[in-house]
Amino acid sequence: MHELSMAEAIVETVLDVAEKNDAQEIVEVTIEVGELTMLNPEQVKFLLGVLAEDTLLEGAEIIIEEVPVEIKCRSCEFTGLANTDGSDHYLAIVLCPKCDERNVEILKGRECNVKTIKIEKSDENA
Amino acid sequence: MKMHKIAEVEVQHDIMVANRKLARKNQKMLDNNQVYAVDVVGAIGSGKTTLIEALIDSMDYNIGVIAGDVISKYDAGRFENHEVPVVGLNTGKECHLDAHLVEHAFHDLPLGDIDLLFIENVGNLICPVDFELGSHMRMVVISVTEGDDTVEKHPLIFKDADLVVINKVDLADAVGADSDKMVSDVKQLNPDVQVIKTSLKTEKGFDEVKKAIEIFINENS
Ligand SMILES: Nc1nc2c(ncn2[C@@H]2O[C@H](COP(=O)(O)OP(=O)(O)OP(=O)(O)O)[C@@H](O)[C@H]2O)c(=O)[nH]1
Ligand SMILES: [Mg+2]
Ligand SMILES: [Zn+2]
Ligand SMILES: [Zn+2]
Ligand SMILES: [Zn+2]
Ligand SMILES: [Zn+2]
Repeated sequence: MHELSMAEAIVETVLDVAEKNDAQEIVEVTIEVGELTMLNPEQVKFLLGVLAEDTLLEGAEIIIEEVPVEIKCRSCEFTGLANTDGSDHYLAIVLCPKCDERNVEILKGRECNVKTIKIEKSDENA
Repeated sequence: MKMHKIAEVEVQHDIMVANRKLARKNQKMLDNNQVYAVDVVGAIGSGKTTLIEALIDSMDYNIGVIAGDVISKYDAGRFENHEVPVVGLNTGKECHLDAHLVEHAFHDLPLGDIDLLFIENVGNLICPVDFELGSHMRMVVISVTEGDDTVEKHPLIFKDADLVVINKVDLADAVGADSDKMVSDVKQLNPDVQVIKTSLKTEKGFDEVKKAIEIFINENS
């Protein structure tokens, strides 16, 4: 699976933003991970921890918000959450829960979005 | 005494979107060099390399190849035997190519001398799905030997495919696979896509694949 390259890209993004904001430390990172990214949140967290060593990110709390799959059916116009039957077969996801057709458009569930970071910085006005 | 404060910073940087942006840049680079690119994805061992080799030998284009492989440069070596420019991309543990890797390969290709570029992705029906590379079309190659439930098990890769090849139909009886079921499974997911049954052993269906790609190229220019 591709957790490592994704984790590397996340770290790069986070460090870049932190440096631009004069962070002395990163306290928390919130990431949205879509169900269709095939990323295992626990593994992403673990790898982020490893990659964070000796950087501003070391010790930060990593919050992963999983984003469920949302679809729009091209046959009956149903829009909403897809069925996920928990199996590793993804057929359920592309089946419209209302009319059972397979011709659906995927609206959500593909993201790997670094949403926010909490940083610690020295307060000039203090 | 120095005071510290905690600040929340809105980042909103989606890694997938970043890859798509890079892919768009790749496509511009291809367009500037008048190169048409085909991303070839499919199951391990389904016949991707064999198909591209046959296309190299029978098409009237200046062809180049990017060969993605997890560890070896084996496929790249096969393409080199056909005297076309080839760049092998070792993805290491990665299970798919991404736009950044492909951009690196561009630097090692004589893009100005190429008008048709095949990018053989890593054999994998799951991970490459959402990683656009900047190609103009995506061809999915599977074979009957993976079993006739392959499409149902990996529906997402077929949804956005521009052309689907179901290969090794010469072996369908031997492995007890119903290739017509595979065709109709694809059609349910992607009603407009052309699905071609081939045997690269007997050359059945090969001309159809060639023609289908030529039509895509002509529609683009
Ligand atoms: N019987 C039969 N064998 C085929 C056919 N097409 C390819 N093969 C054989 O299948 C094997 C794998 O073919 P490749 O072209 O290397 O497959 P690939 O998809 O590039 O494989 P990877 O890059 O390793 O994922 C080779 O031994 C081919 O000779 C076919 O239509 N029928
Ligand atoms: Mg190959
Ligand atoms: Zn993967
Ligand atoms: Zn429906
Ligand atoms: Zn990658
Ligand atoms: Zn680079």
